Amino acid sequence: MITSFLLFFLFLYSQNRDSQTLIPLTVKQISEAFQSSDDKTNFLIDGVDVNNVKLVGILFNKAEMLTAVSFVVDDGTGRLDCFRWVNEAVDTKEMEALTNGIYVRVHGHLKGFQGKKQLMAYSVRPVDDYNEIASHFAEVIYVHSYNSRLRKQQDSSFMSAQVPSSSFNTPLKGYQASASNQFPGFNMDGIGGVHKMVLDYLQQPSCLALEKGVHRNELAQQLRVPSEKIMEAMEALESEGLVYTTIDDFHYKSTANA
Amino acid sequence: MDTSNPAVFVNAELLRLYMGRRVRAVIQVMRSDGGGTVTGQSTDGQQITVKGNPPGPLTTFVEVIGIADGIHSIRAEIWSNFGDTLDTFSYNRICLLANGDYKHLFI
Repeated sequence: MITSFLLFFLFLYSQNRDSQTLIPLTVKQISEAFQSSDDKTNFLIDGVDVNNVKLVGILFNKAEMLTAVSFVVDDGTGRLDCFRWVNEAVDTKEMEALTNGIYVRVHGHLKGFQGKKQLMAYSVRPVDDYNEIASHFAEVIYVHSYNSRLRKQQDSSFMSAQVPSSSFNTPLKGYQASASNQFPGFNMDGIGGVHKMVLDYLQQPSCLALEKGVHRNELAQQLRVPSEKIMEAMEALESEGLVYTTIDDFHYKSTANA
Repeated sequence: MDTSNPAVFVNAELLRLYMGRRVRAVIQVMRSDGGGTVTGQSTDGQQITVKGNPPGPLTTFVEVIGIADGIHSIRAEIWSNFGDTLDTFSYNRICLLANGDYKHLFI
């Protein structure tokens, strides 16, 4: 029970952290980002919520205003409007050092504004080691492959779950949140039969999205498996650290999202 | 936001695929004739010529962004000095990846 609580808090904590990670991107990827209607989750790239991004490109059209500096970053794949608030002397100093035409590394928060995308930059630093350009794009490719592979994995477990389709009718939302954190490299080969069915069921986006998890009677009903078998499977999966109990000893959740 | 005019990562070999389009390439400067042509070695080891007048003295490695106007020639618009040491192998790998499986992330 203590471990379940611990996992639950870990889950909350990591969900929050997941959406805060700095994601290396190209402007092309940003231009194709899907904007979800939900205010909190801003943009979706490779199935992952994107808030903070890293770009490396050439700075252009720098224009200083009273409390902000606007500029454009061209990373060779496209141009993105950026905005940097300058409230403190340190910000002003950082921005003063930059001239049009130099390579910069920009960290910032991606925002949609009046249908346009812009970057609210919180760090704009000149590139001084030019190997960083190649390494940035290598990171972009790596992160893209990583996120889209996780998504494919989820798609396949999504499809293979042998359950009535009624429970699938959830919008994409829960799915996104979970896409960023499966077990990378976790070996599930040893899990078969009922165990696998239960795990697949619990790893459906709709179930991952449920805070209290799924009651074991529901599992028995939906999977058409006797409840003793479900009990057995739950014990085994719990001891493997793959599921945990939530509000009581009957509700279970997959740890895939934690 | 504008992605209508990207500059594709190229080496000498890939340059021919983008005639008339905007490209970016890193060269190791070999010689400059002083009259608007710089010859350099691309990241894949082949030679390319870059037309245009650099804004100032060039370092050993230079990135040019411009229009591919011949199978081994670029008309430069932007010159960026990349210093005297650069991992050209990595840059070349990025050229290949950006024109291969991951092209959709770039152009």
